[in-house]
Amino acid sequence: MTINIFQAVLLAFMASMTSVIGALGTTYSWYTLSRPLVASLFVGIILGDISTSIMVGAAIQIVYIALVTPGGTVSADLRAVSYIGIPLAVIAVKGAGLDPASVQGAGLAVSIGALVGTVGTVMFYSTATMNLIWQQWGWLSIDKLAYKNIYLTNFVLPLISHFLIAFVPTLLITINGAPFVANLKDWLPLDGIAMKTLFTVGTLLPAVGIAILLKQVVSKPTDLIVFFFGFTLAAALKINLIGAAFFGAMIAYLNYKIVMSGSSKKAVAEEEDL
Amino acid sequence: MSVKLSKQTKNSAFWWWYHGNLTGFTHQHMQTFGFMCAMIPVIKELYQDDASRLRSLKTYSPFFNTEPQIGSMVVGIAVGLEEARANGADAIDDAMINGIRAGLMGPLAGIGDSLIPGTYIPILLSIALGFSAGGSVVGPLFYAAVYISTMTFFMKYIFDKGYELGGRAVDVVIGERATAFRESMVMLGAIVIGSLAASWIGVTTALQFSLGEGNPPLILQDTLNSIFPNVLSLLTVLFAWWLMTKRKMSPITVMLILVGIAFVGVLLGVFDPGLSY
Repeated sequence: MTINIFQAVLLAFMASMTSVIGALGTTYSWYTLSRPLVASLFVGIILGDISTSIMVGAAIQIVYIALVTPGGTVSADLRAVSYIGIPLAVIAVKGAGLDPASVQGAGLAVSIGALVGTVGTVMFYSTATMNLIWQQWGWLSIDKLAYKNIYLTNFVLPLISHFLIAFVPTLLITINGAPFVANLKDWLPLDGIAMKTLFTVGTLLPAVGIAILLKQVVSKPTDLIVFFFGFTLAAALKINLIGAAFFGAMIAYLNYKIVMSGSSKKAVAEEEDL
Repeated sequence: MSVKLSKQTKNSAFWWWYHGNLTGFTHQHMQTFGFMCAMIPVIKELYQDDASRLRSLKTYSPFFNTEPQIGSMVVGIAVGLEEARANGADAIDDAMINGIRAGLMGPLAGIGDSLIPGTYIPILLSIALGFSAGGSVVGPLFYAAVYISTMTFFMKYIFDKGYELGGRAVDVVIGERATAFRESMVMLGAIVIGSLAASWIGVTTALQFSLGEGNPPLILQDTLNSIFPNVLSLLTVLFAWWLMTKRKMSPITVMLILVGIAFVGVLLGVFDPGLSY
């Protein structure tokens, strides 16, 4: 399986549009089209294998489930993970003859995704830096009340940054990377130390994604109990994710009721004091 | 003389923000140009002379950055304040507008980051992952449809609240009821993330101990499963969490440590994916 120039152009187009500073707006580019799970549908359509792509995308999604970008610091710009990492991972998994739904298939996919993720970080900082050029021109336009130039500065000129920093590299990496990962097993035998490590890394990395989220949710050690409860629902009681969401919704609802009734009692008590 | 913004102008301010809040991002001025683009239609409608237009446009040139989705409230507030200023409210000047803008962006970024990418998105993605078993397209489509529609509605709602209530709109997101709601959402998030971890992480060990001639070997993974299923995955998550919170390590460093552990583990035979041709 290879990537032809037409497919690479489509992937490069998607990568240009879906950065955190992507051209389509935060809500439907960065928070939707950039998510590996959603991206995998597009990659699947482009490569012509939707179900493999979605299974690969789902595995990679776990690592980046809690990506928060406080104050413009980005640990991984997902456009590289999604539109370079997923296509290469699909080709690698198929080239190695693995089942994408298996632990091994997911492990390989996650490792490739994470490897490519570093490219995304470089892309993010380069794009932000290049946009400084356009903003210099934008500042000059304010005094002249040249409204059109301000819109150009914010919407159109950054597309040049995206073209140079995301489109061109994505095009080159996907075309040239595909033959390499397709024959991965010729370079690195599956039972060798390197591949065993790669697969193992793939099973360990999703823990980082979950841990980033835990860091947000847990402010005191007892908060961990809630997380353990969720883990037990799936691990020991075998409840699936959708069931666990309803379970969690019920607990959250009860918590809300308890907190609100506590505060209304307090309000009543304060009134009585008066 | 009283000027009232048309509904159309308010909407166009909202949509310019919706599409352009981060498109011109630099580290020097993150969302400043996005904010200005949203205010331009408002300024053009409220003022007819260039001097007032320039003054008001410059009001929005200081640095701005927040979580852009919950931040649409600040844009709504600014639109409301600008309208009041055009109607001759003396108390509203550059310092006042920028005081509110700068005062809100920090707290709103904190709430927005923990609530939207920190809680709401992971919950939705977890459910969508459940729907995409076997490579089904339902998962991605579910996430895209639900996220985009609810988030667009939410952004428009708090934009309108910001316009109507001005600074008081903040109660909508930090009031008592909002705080209780947020805490409950975080709880739901922690539960879903827990079950996500159990369903999608599969750390296993290949270690076996020989129990002498004639006895079957002790397979460590089976013993661990009888104590608590998937316990190694749970421990890996807790280890990564511990490194990040107690040791203040960045996610990248933690990933590199896990790569190291994987390599050593494979050498020692603790990990073995068991693949061959």
